[in-house]
Amino acid sequence: MSVRPTIAGFALPLALLLSLVVLWPSQSLGQGVHHPFAVGANEGAVASAQGVMGWILAKESGFYRLLSGAIRTAKLNGGAPWGLIALSLGYGIFHAAGPGHGKAVIASYMLANERALRRGLVIAFGAALLQGFTAVAIVGISAIVFQAAAARMTAAANVVEIVSYAGITVLGAVLVTVKGAALLAARRVAPSAVDYAGAGVAGNFRADDCTEDHLHGPGCSHFHAPDPLTLGAGFSWKSAALTMLAAGARPCSGAILVLVFALAQGIFSAGIFAVLAMSLGTAITTAALASTAVFAKNTAVKYATPGSRRSLMAGRLFEFAAASAVLGLGITLLLAVLAGGTGAS
Amino acid sequence: MLFVGISAGAAAAHPHVWVTARAQVVFNTQGQIEAIRNAWVFDEMYSAFATQGIGKDGQLLSKDELAPLAKTNVESLEEFDYFTYAKAASQKIEFGAPADYSLEQRQDKLVVLRFTLPLKTPTSATRAFSFQVYDPTYFVAFEMEKDNPVSLAGAPKGCSINVLGSNPLAASDTKKLSESFFSGLSPGTDFGVKLASRIIVACP
Repeated sequence: MSVRPTIAGFALPLALLLSLVVLWPSQSLGQGVHHPFAVGANEGAVASAQGVMGWILAKESGFYRLLSGAIRTAKLNGGAPWGLIALSLGYGIFHAAGPGHGKAVIASYMLANERALRRGLVIAFGAALLQGFTAVAIVGISAIVFQAAAARMTAAANVVEIVSYAGITVLGAVLVTVKGAALLAARRVAPSAVDYAGAGVAGNFRADDCTEDHLHGPGCSHFHAPDPLTLGAGFSWKSAALTMLAAGARPCSGAILVLVFALAQGIFSAGIFAVLAMSLGTAITTAALASTAVFAKNTAVKYATPGSRRSLMAGRLFEFAAASAVLGLGITLLLAVLAGGTGAS
Repeated sequence: MLFVGISAGAAAAHPHVWVTARAQVVFNTQGQIEAIRNAWVFDEMYSAFATQGIGKDGQLLSKDELAPLAKTNVESLEEFDYFTYAKAASQKIEFGAPADYSLEQRQDKLVVLRFTLPLKTPTSATRAFSFQVYDPTYFVAFEMEKDNPVSLAGAPKGCSINVLGSNPLAASDTKKLSESFFSGLSPGTDFGVKLASRIIVACP
């Protein structure tokens, strides 16, 4: 599919952007990050750590603390760092199980759009891998190429974070526009006449909004094509790529720390393996979540008599709510990071 | 469930930095508490991160080389109340600007941040003085040093220190966590405070 070129198309601008940030003469770029010990992106926020989340948190912390030991062992042994990789995988699984915007974006996107599970899985894996690659790129470019200090690395990660949150906001806005139009169309049009061409009228009507950010053309309505296999690959994959980007661009502090530590130990490659294993772990959990989203949605839609007006409205409402959630999340995160706030008062 | 996840998404953190903390309670000549001196040892991953790109390879960094970073750290700590929360007779204690701050890289490459936090108004310790060191955002997990976590400097005779509850995720917490399995996912006590030791200084 066209996933590969999309990621490659992202990698080059990212590398350029990072180089620019690292070389930028002023420190002002890092001002969004206010936490005194911020690592890369701004992750500090008040944790509500009870129940399942508390358990996940504890597990994740446990794995993470073992990682530094595993990196040192990998250095001593010199061989393949299997222990490190296994630990990283476990960390990734628990890391993704904790609350975080990446999962929320993917789940909401799946609720708003996808009925095809396979594509959802690709999105989940793409986002997780992208997250790993971003961390490697940030540390690789700033630490190895430019020998930048931690503050610069954090500034670079912060810029990527802002871009990522802006991406979530754009994705949310696009989804809300498209889903809102579809919802209105479903309300207006008589049940018998509501087919996917009906939604298409609304889509065409809004073609101006859609083309504005180059996300899609008049093919907006293809979201609602009845058979996923006949979906226009172009539009769908573009929005899927945006989802991957928005959910996955933001590097994880843990990955950056592991990479810098591995670099300090002189075994950067082991760090890369660890981060890729983390991504894989994250992907497994996110994929499970994406599957749940698709299943929940299909069930909800099926609950009403298939093909009925109620079923259609249920589906559209569901999608619109999910789309609004993505937009709300994007705006919240963007405002928080621009204000330099961390949720702590 | 997914929407709960979304709303919680923005408000979740997990520690990426571990600090082993030591504190010293400083008394003035009138026998009042006038400052708290913090010494925070960072875990090896964060230590490697903080010193990345500073100084020459393979050599320990000097305090001078680390001075700019120490300044940045301490300045940005202001917004977070220096992660130091003190009370005297149930009243919140206000701190002034920190003095004598420094970062050093130990022989084992771990980085230590030291700073003295003066009380805006020195206070007597005859009425329950207590403090906690923690990050409310739980990005940094603070843990008091096992041996001699707190010491007194210039204290009047008979003053004592008590350190309460310093074990992260004690068995009782884990049990509570599993009990709240179904009622979970609701905002509640946060880990930063929950796991923080409370240090009580009592003077006759």
